[in-house]
Amino acid sequence: MKNTETFAESLARCGVKYHFAYPITPATDVMKRMAVILPKYGGQMMQMESELAVSSALAGAACSGTLVATSSSGPGMTLMHEAVGFMCAAELPCIMLDSMRVGPGDGDILGAQSDYYVATRGGGHGDYHVIVLAPSSGQEIADIMPHGIRLAYKYRTPVLFVVDGVSAQTTESTTLPAYNDYSAEFDTTDWAFTGTQDHPKRALITGSYSHQDGYEMNEMLRAKYERIRENEQLWESEGVEDADLVVAAFGIHGRMCKDLVAKMRADGKKVGFIRPITLWPFPDRAFEALPDSVKDILVVEMNLGQMVDDVRLAVNGRIPVHFLGKTGGDLPMYTLSDMIAEANRILEK
Amino acid sequence: MENLSAKYGKTLNLDKLTSYCPGCGHGIVTRLVAEAIEKLGVMERTVGIVGIGCGGFSHHYMDIDAIEATHGRSPSFAIGYKMAMPNNIVFTYAGDGDTCAIGLGDLLHAANKGMPITTIMVNNTVFGMTGGQMSPTTLEGQVTATTVKGRDTSTQGYPLLVPEMMRAMPGVKYLARETVATPKGVRKARKSIQKAFECQVKGLGYSFVEVIVPCPTGLKKKVKDAYDWCGNQMIDYFKPQVFKDETEQGDVA
Repeated sequence: MKNTETFAESLARCGVKYHFAYPITPATDVMKRMAVILPKYGGQMMQMESELAVSSALAGAACSGTLVATSSSGPGMTLMHEAVGFMCAAELPCIMLDSMRVGPGDGDILGAQSDYYVATRGGGHGDYHVIVLAPSSGQEIADIMPHGIRLAYKYRTPVLFVVDGVSAQTTESTTLPAYNDYSAEFDTTDWAFTGTQDHPKRALITGSYSHQDGYEMNEMLRAKYERIRENEQLWESEGVEDADLVVAAFGIHGRMCKDLVAKMRADGKKVGFIRPITLWPFPDRAFEALPDSVKDILVVEMNLGQMVDDVRLAVNGRIPVHFLGKTGGDLPMYTLSDMIAEANRILEK
Repeated sequence: MENLSAKYGKTLNLDKLTSYCPGCGHGIVTRLVAEAIEKLGVMERTVGIVGIGCGGFSHHYMDIDAIEATHGRSPSFAIGYKMAMPNNIVFTYAGDGDTCAIGLGDLLHAANKGMPITTIMVNNTVFGMTGGQMSPTTLEGQVTATTVKGRDTSTQGYPLLVPEMMRAMPGVKYLARETVATPKGVRKARKSIQKAFECQVKGLGYSFVEVIVPCPTGLKKKVKDAYDWCGNQMIDYFKPQVFKDETEQGDVA
């Protein structure tokens, strides 16, 4: 199954009721699949006229406490940020997919990891974050979806999946979960906007608040983001305990690191890898815990260098950080042999 | 206050002083919306989605759940909400700047989808809250903060006639333009707003009412002069009328 279709199946099987989207390569297969399968689960996919309308409808539906989702790609995400910022301020849960393609501007439809900055730094105005998950395979998409939904409701916040356009369009074997509505684990009655039949008037005011209210909202969000940063860092690592060199990469390059470490270890090279699974919060702890044996870190990305900034912040000057990245216009990524050659160059320097 | 509650019902919150300027038409329209909700007995399942600008304050004066949407996007918010809560009543309330400048795309597509939601567009031909700039509905020759020599249609286009744009859409089941410039206009506006909500309660389709109102502050006129101007120049161009009424179908749920 194509991983975009896996994403759709995972959404529907985990309890997403409504999906709003606008066609864009390489994310469109998600909405196509949702249009077919959601009615079977009592839901609906609604194709909107723009991504602005998509994210606004998403916010409107999320206000009711219902589990909602969208899927898009870079230029679409750019347009969506207005309501994403609204949803962060309003503390509304939802699931989003950015099937990343190369930019800037409208870019090209080639897969890339070029939205790391916009995913992890916001995109709308103000101080906010969304939780960012970066699965590296179809199976991980299916496996991590329940966790993503739980995070969205636990913290009442949008959760963004970022999958590069290459991985998103890869076809591979995946075991899908049985249907389970994970949103049902969470009681929304104390905040959902369902009419005043069972509660006093609720007003969702994210804009024209008083200065004091605005300050309190931002401080509340700051405390929430600190809790997320403290508790929700996820990563996969291997071979770092005695490593001379650690390779750090997310998504498809992170997946390739497994083979890279196996091959280089077979040649007697002490190489390990860290694959961040949450990009926000960034797994600082994985890097803070690196042993003194690690002399260098190589960051590989399908962009011109974005996550590399977070790695540098995480090691805070303790270990030299190198970068290998390529994106767009031609073949969108470095191969495993390119990565091994660069790792050897650093080891032999 | 008790006497007024007995007269107007529970929807209108009479404990709050409004922040509308003296003479502003929003006060009347907000009351008419509250009366429509009250009359249909749907207050407890109604959600208001308001825009940015003076219209964004309207929900403060009604005891219903409310969401302040981003600028111009309330129709899309309403689409999403109605899908998730089909048995609830959802209306959008916003001015001409919010509804037909930044939000025109959202508005027309929401109308064309024909989902049972209701839009109240309050048109005073000017951006009120931001200090009297030109709006898409500013009249030809009208002086505003950004059309200092009057709106020049050769560069700034013509005042936008929104219901006329919606008239051909089959999903729009109730469509009207009213004014609150005169007592007779207020009575007609009350009827149209009630029909628009009734249209939704019956699940028939999209309903839209544009209400022409004066903005003494934004128009920089005395209250009386603003009402005179609204009742003459504004409604001479924005002619009050019921464009479409397909509400005489089905029963009120």
